[in-house]
Amino acid sequence: MSTLTTSRITGLFSVNQEAWVKLGLMLIALALMLIGLVFPLYTLLLKSVQNSAGDFIGLANYRHYFSTPSLVNSIANSFFIAIMTMCLVVSLAFVCAYGITRTCMPGKRVFKVLTLLPILAPSLLPAISLVYIFGNQGYLKGLLGGESIYGPIGIVIGMCFWIFPHALMILVTALSNSDARLYEAARSLKTPAWRTFLTVTLPGIRYGLISCAFVVFTLAITDFGVPKIIGGQYNLLATDIYKQVVGQQNFQMGAVVSMILLLPAVLTFIADRWVQRKQTAQLSARAVPYQPSPSPVRDWVFALLCFSVAAVILLMIGTAVYASLIQFWPYNLSYTLRHYQFDGLGGSGWESWFNSLKMASSVAVIGTLVIFTVAWMVEKTKEFGLLRQWVHLFAILPMAVPGMVLGLAYIFFFNHPSNPLNILYGTLAILVLNTLVHFYTVCHLTSMTALKQLDPEFEAVGASLKVPFWRTYLRVTLPTSLPAVLDISVYLFVNAMTTVSAVIFLYGPDTRLASVAVLHLDEAGYFASAAAMSVLILLTSVVVKILHAMCTHLILKRSQIWRQR
Amino acid sequence: MGDVMRTMQQPSLAALVGQTAFMPDSDVSESICLEIEGLSKSFGAFVALNTIDLTIYEGEFVCFLGPSGCGKTTLLRAIAGLEPQSSGRIVQMGKEISHLPPQQRDFGIVFQSYALFPNLTIADNIAYGLRNQGHSRQALQARVHELMCLIGLEGSEKKYPAQLSGGQQQRVALARALATKPGLLLLDEPLSALDAQVRVHLRQQIKALQKTLGVTTVMVTHDQEEALTMADRIVVMNHGVIEQIGTPEEVYRHPKSAFVAQFVGNMNFLSAEVCSPTAVMLGAQRYTTQPHAFENKRPVHLAIRPEEVVLTSLGQASSQLEARVIHIEYLGAFLRLTCDVTSADVQLRVDIQHSEAVQHQIQLGKDVHLTLPAASCRVFRQDGH
Repeated sequence: MSTLTTSRITGLFSVNQEAWVKLGLMLIALALMLIGLVFPLYTLLLKSVQNSAGDFIGLANYRHYFSTPSLVNSIANSFFIAIMTMCLVVSLAFVCAYGITRTCMPGKRVFKVLTLLPILAPSLLPAISLVYIFGNQGYLKGLLGGESIYGPIGIVIGMCFWIFPHALMILVTALSNSDARLYEAARSLKTPAWRTFLTVTLPGIRYGLISCAFVVFTLAITDFGVPKIIGGQYNLLATDIYKQVVGQQNFQMGAVVSMILLLPAVLTFIADRWVQRKQTAQLSARAVPYQPSPSPVRDWVFALLCFSVAAVILLMIGTAVYASLIQFWPYNLSYTLRHYQFDGLGGSGWESWFNSLKMASSVAVIGTLVIFTVAWMVEKTKEFGLLRQWVHLFAILPMAVPGMVLGLAYIFFFNHPSNPLNILYGTLAILVLNTLVHFYTVCHLTSMTALKQLDPEFEAVGASLKVPFWRTYLRVTLPTSLPAVLDISVYLFVNAMTTVSAVIFLYGPDTRLASVAVLHLDEAGYFASAAAMSVLILLTSVVVKILHAMCTHLILKRSQIWRQR
Repeated sequence: MGDVMRTMQQPSLAALVGQTAFMPDSDVSESICLEIEGLSKSFGAFVALNTIDLTIYEGEFVCFLGPSGCGKTTLLRAIAGLEPQSSGRIVQMGKEISHLPPQQRDFGIVFQSYALFPNLTIADNIAYGLRNQGHSRQALQARVHELMCLIGLEGSEKKYPAQLSGGQQQRVALARALATKPGLLLLDEPLSALDAQVRVHLRQQIKALQKTLGVTTVMVTHDQEEALTMADRIVVMNHGVIEQIGTPEEVYRHPKSAFVAQFVGNMNFLSAEVCSPTAVMLGAQRYTTQPHAFENKRPVHLAIRPEEVVLTSLGQASSQLEARVIHIEYLGAFLRLTCDVTSADVQLRVDIQHSEAVQHQIQLGKDVHLTLPAASCRVFRQDGH
């Protein structure tokens, strides 16, 4: 028996070099996740139960937090804002998604492109536009009837603007995954339209709807950019972290608020994962997609609704563009490009844009390679089951961690004098690592989906032909998944370009980013320059997005021969 | 659909078994290619393979046949090293390979899905494993060309898999697996994704190719026809154990268990009671059977294939059963009658030729006499084995 065990172990490890390589890669992935996510979060947790001298003081910080009304109020405020945003965005997105998928409304393509725009802009942009529209000198101030835009109203509108596309994409997917035969069956049974809607349409998308609500809630409760610009005196958890850390240098309290913000984010994340799992089993592979038939009244009603939404989006973006192009609102409306020169603004000018470009490109290239390769290891290797499960878990986890929390956690972990990694602090590298981890989850899930669509036996065929696994990966897996890989890289680029929450704590004197610059320009009162920088970020994202579309088109065209089924 | 096809081609089944019986296989040598000893595999509490012992000889074409979930694919994957066994040994050409990873074993494999690399041309697919072996450019091209000719697809080198039909893709997968001249060819349900007609055609092609190359081949299938027509030996599996190993004729004519009897071909099972080592009682009537080892008075099944039941005229032979035709199924080349036995509460399926139907004026409600030849009457335990 013992000889059998020994022979098995030596058989497994001495002969199989490929297994060693796989183990090595997997351990590197695990190390990346521990350093980029787990250790920082653990340090954050520690900080929240220490005093400023670093001594353990139990829950004293938490007691202090809950006995300070100005701090506790933020919890209720954050929930109020998140729930308001959730209700508004989900209903709006549902109407628009229904218009796109279930009607023959005109201009669908144009509408889809327009609704993408908010994702390409930093969340600071709508807030800046709102100031120009409804602020003290705003051109539509009268519409608010004396209410101030600086506060909950502004925050909710701003959030609705940039979260809307996320919700729309989820609901469009949910509504597209429908089986036309269910509708044919309902019609052949002479079911009235309203009953078909209640018994077929709604149950079919219920998981998508729930998932959408969760995503919107999480994005809203964790967002920092919008309330920072337009929140006024209305305190939220995300802005509290910033105030505690940057304003009052009270790191311990910042850690406490972070832990509190982490809680709802983690809970919605768990609920969402649970719902997602249910959803996958719903649609059979033999479903026939639903094709709407024209119905003039319905089509035009939905077109009207959808294009009203699109008009609001254009108004917001148009306002920011306009604000960046005129001399001085509202006194001198002559056009100028002066604000794009960022004269005398030091690190907040073009330099920060170049930094952002460098950072976003690095994240896009390194991130895509790392994330897709790790996803491939998780999905396609057979060995090291436990290790793979842990890597998978850590890959899913970042979605539950708000950017502010991750950023603060990085300060604590990487800025610690005894941590050899603190040479990274203030460099572009830490920004790249942070952004990569921050947006890891969606890319990981996209990769997994793409990999699951490949034939599960590619690796087995490669092994039977004695071709090393990395060659099969490079020659077959990667090329066949190229569209998904490009999607991931452009997603990473755009998010790295627009994010502000995590990196706000991590930039150094030489690595200030464009999105951070927007914030600083706004704080310093250079509103037009802030608008100009936001527009610059938006334009950069748009250009990259167009390049991506062209690349994808070319690749699909070139590979059309073998992609046809 | 599959069931219909299987039933439709029933007559050819028995016919093909007959042919192979007269063609003893000269290509199969006595040297052992693969030896499997006490192989077991469990997934949690589920036992997929239960102490499998099996020897495969060089040049042999072996089929693993069984219903889905019987462990045949798991056994194939264990041989390939893709699904390592829980315990047991596998020895290939005298070398223990039990714990080697797939890339260090000597085999080529064709999957049900073919798993052709969609982004590579046919030539690149076939050359995939060759590239690694340090062949010169010319040698590589020559080998690819040779294989393309072998599978009858010369001229399609530059095409992509998606541009080929299912049957052509299947042949490319075969060529890719054979390119490196493996000592063992593994086929995992290679024909089940194809149309019925292509399937029959490819069956012959694969078999002919295997004979030409003399490569030891193991094929997994759930299709009894495929196994009967292609295999030198069939390994019938059920619930993770081997039910029977034998030539197609042995498996069809002399099934060792009721499971084999009903899984391969059709079989009537009639409840009976043992009355002597060569006879059973069916109701009040005594029937002579093949010799069996059951003790007296034991309840058993008398088993006979529908085509072995003989339709006779009144008063011709002994051991006659009186029955009434209650259903007639038209199956193309022959008719299947369902007959209600008068003396007992059992039904019997009987296959007859059209000429017999005319001769005996078969119609619904017609009273007929049936003879169960002793040589065809097998006896099985009643609990399924």
